[in-house]
Amino acid sequence: MNEPLLFDNSDDFLRALRQLKEEGKTWRELRLHMPFNVPEVEEILEVPAGGMRFFAVAGALAGFLGGFALTIYTVLDWPIIVGGKPIVSVPPFLLIAYILTILFGSLAVFGGFLLLARMPSVREIRECRDFGNHFAILPGEEEGPWKQ
Amino acid sequence: MNKTDPIEARERFESDVLSVMGRPGFRYFAALGFCAFLVTLGFGLWGWQIFRGVGVAGISHPVGWGVYITNFVFWVGIAHSGTLISAVLFLFRAKFRTSFNRAAEAMTVFALMVAGLFPLIHLGRVWIFYYLLPYPNQRLLWPNFRSPLIWDVFAVTTYMIVSLVFFYVGMIPDLAVARRRLKGFASRIFAILSLGWNGSLGQWRHYNKLYIFLAAFATPLVASVHSIVSWDFAVSIVPGWHTTIFAPYFVAGAILSGTAMVITLVWPMQRILKLENYITTDHFEAIAKILLLTSLIVSYSYIVETGFAFYGEHPFEAEQFRYRSFGDYAVLYWVMIFCNSLLPLTLFVRRLRRSLPYLFVLSLLVNVGMWIERFVIIVNSLARDYDPYAWGTYTPSPVEIGITLMSFGLFFLLYLIFLKVLPILSITELKEHHG
Amino acid sequence: METIRLRTSHLWFLLVIVAITMAIMEYGGPQEEKGTFLLTIVFWAGILQGAIAVVAVTDLIEARWIDALREKLLSLYPLLYFLLILFLIFIPRAGVFPWTAHPGAWLNETFFIIRNILLLLAACLAARFFARAALRRDSGTKRWAVIYLFIFVASQSLVAFDWVMSLEYPWISTLFGAFFFVEALYGGLAMAGILFFSEPRPDASFPVKAAPRDIGLLLFGFSVLWGGLFFAQFLLIWYGHLPEEISFISERINSPLYRALGYAFLAFNFFIPFLVMISRKAKGQAGVVAAVSGVILTGIFIERIFYIGPALSLNEGAAFFQTVLMFTAVLAFVNNRNEFLSRLAGKDAA
Repeated sequence: MNEPLLFDNSDDFLRALRQLKEEGKTWRELRLHMPFNVPEVEEILEVPAGGMRFFAVAGALAGFLGGFALTIYTVLDWPIIVGGKPIVSVPPFLLIAYILTILFGSLAVFGGFLLLARMPSVREIRECRDFGNHFAILPGEEEGPWKQ
Repeated sequence: MNKTDPIEARERFESDVLSVMGRPGFRYFAALGFCAFLVTLGFGLWGWQIFRGVGVAGISHPVGWGVYITNFVFWVGIAHSGTLISAVLFLFRAKFRTSFNRAAEAMTVFALMVAGLFPLIHLGRVWIFYYLLPYPNQRLLWPNFRSPLIWDVFAVTTYMIVSLVFFYVGMIPDLAVARRRLKGFASRIFAILSLGWNGSLGQWRHYNKLYIFLAAFATPLVASVHSIVSWDFAVSIVPGWHTTIFAPYFVAGAILSGTAMVITLVWPMQRILKLENYITTDHFEAIAKILLLTSLIVSYSYIVETGFAFYGEHPFEAEQFRYRSFGDYAVLYWVMIFCNSLLPLTLFVRRLRRSLPYLFVLSLLVNVGMWIERFVIIVNSLARDYDPYAWGTYTPSPVEIGITLMSFGLFFLLYLIFLKVLPILSITELKEHHG
Repeated sequence: METIRLRTSHLWFLLVIVAITMAIMEYGGPQEEKGTFLLTIVFWAGILQGAIAVVAVTDLIEARWIDALREKLLSLYPLLYFLLILFLIFIPRAGVFPWTAHPGAWLNETFFIIRNILLLLAACLAARFFARAALRRDSGTKRWAVIYLFIFVASQSLVAFDWVMSLEYPWISTLFGAFFFVEALYGGLAMAGILFFSEPRPDASFPVKAAPRDIGLLLFGFSVLWGGLFFAQFLLIWYGHLPEEISFISERINSPLYRALGYAFLAFNFFIPFLVMISRKAKGQAGVVAAVSGVILTGIFIERIFYIGPALSLNEGAAFFQTVLMFTAVLAFVNNRNEFLSRLAGKDAA
């Protein structure tokens, strides 16, 4: 039972997954490897959405609020009227907040991905454990400290 | 469904794409050497400019922004289509993007690297450029966030970081392929670069989300970066600059020049590297359609801008229009109209749209036109603003021309290096579309 | 629910009645406000031309979700003729524009009337030929879609620059035209959202769920685009702070009523669609999409009031009544589309 099941094409792979699902296996009890993404896998195994959304929202919010905090704090630190604009000028500051929303949002999802997917992994870097161009099903759980 | 063995097909994708990374020939080194020469020349001239002062450039009163800022806007514009093709077309589920996205994303990153140099080159005392960044310092000073030049610093830096992340993330599964297929030292480098990607479900499920989120963040970013660049001009009250249509007009222009640059880069790449199976005429046609659409938007902006010279009593707008079309730089203006508005109209003809040599020539001319467009906008408005006493003209100096050549050299140098060190097509997406 | 079935000839009769009613309201009644009728035609010109333009764009890029809505949206094309008639009724009112006192090269009454009639007529004809090609699914569809979109852009730009912006002559904003045609597409899409809900059974065999999701996604995208264009316009006027530009805004936000309306259309056109449609669940539900579409149409209407009201003064009762009349006409045409659409497509009436 420790031998991995290998498939050449995604149809056979999905068929096997449906069967395993009917046998009552959940996605936690299987280790799957895919050479490319097959969106149906997550539907069949009913894989939950995961935490990426949290990172996106948190990062974006941090950037938005941080952008306003930075601009308003620094301008109040040395309040001097430049170019006839009010000290706290919302439209230009909104731009900075908007840019930082995107910057922090993107960096947060990237960081979140590394965290959730457990990358970089020293062990995987040392020793290649993928299955090339085959789809693979292995019994046994996903490994690592952040099980979910 | 496919007669061929799927494993075989996937391996063929891998070897076809990775074979590009093989030992380069003489022509490659010749091109590389030429680019390196231009870069050395340009950086030498920059050193000369730092040594002697900005006086060696032709910019002076009243035209304080010349070729350097033209180059900055031009290269930021080139960057735009990379994000458009990779992020926006991804969200619209357009499959043809697979042939271009890696090349276009690389182009974005390199164009931004080049673009980022120009504000620095333009600075008189470049060694204190870090005054632009907000950090607590002993001078107790902060940047002025109400200034559009600071918006630029934020926008371009953010764009650089986000497109690097996007470029890298899109490559991770391919880096793992390269690691598996290559031998020895290269394999070890790619192992580290791929961060230990092994294609497990635990990685894929987060990866998909990551890619969607990055695309969703990059899409509004691409529209806002060139808008902010346009506002460097438009928030002033200089006639010809202070006009509300500038933001969408610049964004469309950026994508126009960017798609043209994609064609300029990808057609020779397809021919020389024999990638006809992967980058087909249909794909070029789709890109040509985007080029046509953005050219129409740019033409619309020209028409609207010109139209307001006749709308009512706006003497300054009217004079700006007259000066642009019949003044000192009239030839450039008409070349710009020809290259950006008239020539792309031929793409309504299907046969021309599908003729790759024609597209290639057209793409070169469009970029000539787009470079000139920025020059026309910047120089004409400064040369003729409100007060006749402050009128004057501008001619680029040899230093400025040399540094401009350097920017092209640097861009193509980086691109040539990219061809040999990273997978130039998305192998994983090719497999996915093949099934 | 029972719908009233009307023959095509009855529909035309209905339009004649509506036109006469509007003409009487405008010229015969005790109404002294001069802006109401202009408000009606500006608003409906955007929505009706926009609805056809949505079909044209989606047919060009081969988006499949339009299959569920193509016939309904195209059934609005006869109303473009009606729009032309309404504009003809408006012509005696052309004196309301301040530039008529000092005509110029572009802004003079004769040229104004001629160019607008020609463009509206061109829009009708292009919409008709496009609708015929699209219903037959013949090879000319894309060509007519491109032609229609050219005319649409030109026509909406003229609506913006000629009908609305020139009310505040000499105030100018070069983005105004582009803003209007994007808004017209946005409005047309919102119309699609409402029409989809009004009769959710699709015309073709089509997965019902996919259409509201795509409409919802597009509404979300357009809300962002709208917000961006609004900001682009606002920022430059705010930053430039030139007296001749800032007057347009200060005149409006210094009146409590128009200030409130300003916040309202900002919320209706941007914040509400953005915040609601960002949710994946909301996008999938035809009811939510239709509700948001209604909010957007209201928002666009309020925005038109915001532009026209301070320049010309409006009669609330008349504005309401005219909107109801136009909406009735829209529903009458959509619900009784089979006869005239199949005649247009050259098929036998089913």
